[in-house]
Amino acid sequence: MRQSDEHILIEAAKAGSSDAFADLVRLYQVRLLRFLLTRCASFADAEDALQDTFIAAYRYLNSYDPRWRFSTWLYRIAIRNAHKIRRENVVELGDLSDEESDPLVQCIASSEAENLWVSARRVLGDEVFAATWLRYAEDMSIKDISQALDRSTSWTKVNLLRARKALDADLNRQSEGAEVYG
Amino acid sequence: MDKLAEQLKRDAEMIDVKVSDDLERRIAASLQGLSPEREAPRQRPAVFWWASSLTGVTAALLLITVFNVRTEREELPQATRDTSPVATVVSPIIEWNAQSAMLTSPLRQELDDLQSDIDKARRKVRDDIGL
Repeated sequence: MRQSDEHILIEAAKAGSSDAFADLVRLYQVRLLRFLLTRCASFADAEDALQDTFIAAYRYLNSYDPRWRFSTWLYRIAIRNAHKIRRENVVELGDLSDEESDPLVQCIASSEAENLWVSARRVLGDEVFAATWLRYAEDMSIKDISQALDRSTSWTKVNLLRARKALDADLNRQSEGAEVYG
Repeated sequence: MDKLAEQLKRDAEMIDVKVSDDLERRIAASLQGLSPEREAPRQRPAVFWWASSLTGVTAALLLITVFNVRTEREELPQATRDTSPVATVVSPIIEWNAQSAMLTSPLRQELDDLQSDIDKARRKVRDDIGL
């Protein structure tokens, strides 16, 4: 969908068209749910966070600043909701080492190599993980990521660089392990 | 796009997610009773903050003035009737100028506290209206 079409939908939704907002929901729900799965301790939590995100977005649609990308604004709300739900449940993502309980692992198609996002969640901090996801899975610009995370652009640049180094190091460790034990 | 970026992109797409019909229904139902809230006018809070700040400062100044006037009108305490030698020696040491300067200190503190409360209220209002 083009930016102009999205803008038309947003304006219509602001005017009270629930159908227009329903189109926006359909446009973003899968992408947001995929992201929220990486941020929540269970599939149910991710679904709750998604629902809360759309409710908040619709309610406060008039405060949306069109200078931002709509997706940036949505991700910002989603990050807050995921954080809120995790704080209520007091579950650390690092504790989800058990594959049966990890919603992210359950949703990954079986593969010989470990999915990099599972490694990323293990080696990166919360915000750095989110920045990495927005950069590489969502192709967001540094500026948009900074806005979504409410951080400076220099923070985003530095931490994306660190994330890359950490992931590279983890990948090397994995490949060395595979050579030794393979 | 480099190798790592490509793999991250590919692995993100491998996360197989479907939004269930049940969740779609839940979202649609929760949006049904809602409508976008009107944006709060931004000028009114600024005027309100200024008005409340001025009121607070005026009230504090008024309190200081009233307290100072009262202090000036108060009579000096009667000299103690205790005839003990210690009391006779101690009573002339009192210096009224020094004492009155010290009595204004709590009001200055009160003024600072009021100003601090106003700042806190202002921050809270900003947080509340900001998303």
